[in-house]
Amino acid sequence: MIEIKDLTKTFDKFTAVDHLNLKIETGEFFGLLGPNGAGKTTTISMMSTVLLPTEGEIRLDGNLLNRTASKEKRKLSVITQEYSMRQDMTMDEVMEYQGRLYFLPKKVIRERTDQWLEFAGLKEYRKRVVRHLSGGMKRKLMVCRALLIEPEILLLDEPTAGMDAISRRQMWNLLRQLNQKGLTIVLTTHYIDEAQSLCDRVALINKGKLNTVDTPDHLIRELGAFAVDEVSDDNLVSRYFHNHSDVIAYMTDHPDATMRATTLEDVFVERVGNRLSKK
Amino acid sequence: MGIVTVLWEKWIEFKRDFYKITIAAMMSPLMYLIIFGMGIQTTSHGEPYLNYLIPGIVAMSTMTGSFSAVAQNMSVQRLYEKALDQVMVSPTPLWQFIVGQIIGGSLRGMYAAGIIMLLTAPIRTGLIFNGLSLFIMFLNGTVFSTLALVLSFLAKSYTDAPRFNSYIIMPMTFLCNTFFSTEQMPNGFRQVIAILPLSQASNMIRAISAGMHPDGIGFVILFAYLLIFSTISFVFIYKKKNL
Repeated sequence: MIEIKDLTKTFDKFTAVDHLNLKIETGEFFGLLGPNGAGKTTTISMMSTVLLPTEGEIRLDGNLLNRTASKEKRKLSVITQEYSMRQDMTMDEVMEYQGRLYFLPKKVIRERTDQWLEFAGLKEYRKRVVRHLSGGMKRKLMVCRALLIEPEILLLDEPTAGMDAISRRQMWNLLRQLNQKGLTIVLTTHYIDEAQSLCDRVALINKGKLNTVDTPDHLIRELGAFAVDEVSDDNLVSRYFHNHSDVIAYMTDHPDATMRATTLEDVFVERVGNRLSKK
Repeated sequence: MGIVTVLWEKWIEFKRDFYKITIAAMMSPLMYLIIFGMGIQTTSHGEPYLNYLIPGIVAMSTMTGSFSAVAQNMSVQRLYEKALDQVMVSPTPLWQFIVGQIIGGSLRGMYAAGIIMLLTAPIRTGLIFNGLSLFIMFLNGTVFSTLALVLSFLAKSYTDAPRFNSYIIMPMTFLCNTFFSTEQMPNGFRQVIAILPLSQASNMIRAISAGMHPDGIGFVILFAYLLIFSTISFVFIYKKKNL
């Protein structure tokens, strides 16, 4: 279990993360959602110990996670938003470096490198240096690198950024499979549909503060499972209803309106985005 | 062990950039040797000036080779590639990463100095380079690798690395016993220059090359620098909040 207690990070006078409290259960697929600058990446960076908190702490299975906690760090793997790897290494070298940093035997590194590069369709490019890879290939390589060490917890910061639609779907399927095998996943993403499709629970954060934590289904039901869109004064306005009969009644009076299912994105916009619509 | 991992990474880099590294290590020292040692032929303390210059250039090469190997690499890894994040999150103890960087950087410095020793070998100077010289070269390399680590942790952008060269390495190159003795400097300034690590390394290597015993205080000074810079490096990597 990951416990985040009163986690705070300030940069000079700017508070990026403000007394964040979260509990993420073992085996959970957890989403961290928020607008740009909400503090998602800062939170992931503190979970990976690249940044140290100004206040608060992170515990893995009850043990404090910090830069000296080698035992805890062995459980963790991170896919960062940026292509954080040596640009002048080949794919094979990137994988070997990762394996060595986690003290894996050479034979295991070779076998798993073959397995993951094959899976990602990168095997034929394994001698190519990172600098000469496309953005999508770099992203896939980062996934291969993270999974090489068979982590217990995978931290993903915008993992599908820069991927085409097909690769994104492949990634979703892979993450689902890994989670079903017991891997704890913490995901930040700008693609709300991604979080809705994958996450058991999501935390909405805004300006570094926790807004809410719940399952996507419950958040949607709380807002109203039925959404009605209509254009008013050149703005798209959405209204949310709990009962189908209420939607029908509303649409009878507003024939130009269109009905659809409420999504997590609606919840996101309502709770942390600009108030574009009124319930 | 993490130290071996860092040395492996340095070896990969060395193999890939072998020609670039070798040529870069040769260029400046070779120019200095040709211009000051062969072009402007003179004597120092009754000896051919080359006898004075070569040990100084060897010491200087350990400094520049070690410093540039670590400063450039670490600044780019930390600020541009963000590859240091991969190390930070891994279970490799960070002290091992630091020690690996220091040893790897120092070996690169020794490689640069070795090239100069090879190039000057045909000039029959009679200079002596023994195991103790190699140890001093290694020690000097560790001091400058560690200094490079400290500065790369302080760097705000990866373009700061060349600036460190201009502010620190270049003045030391010319002032610290490489081309002329610090004895010729004005009082006060001389003492400051004399306690800089390159001055001490040059002095000791020069003494051995002339068949004399190096001054023991030089070892104390170099170890003191190593201790100070490595302590700062450890504090940075373990305690710096925004690495």
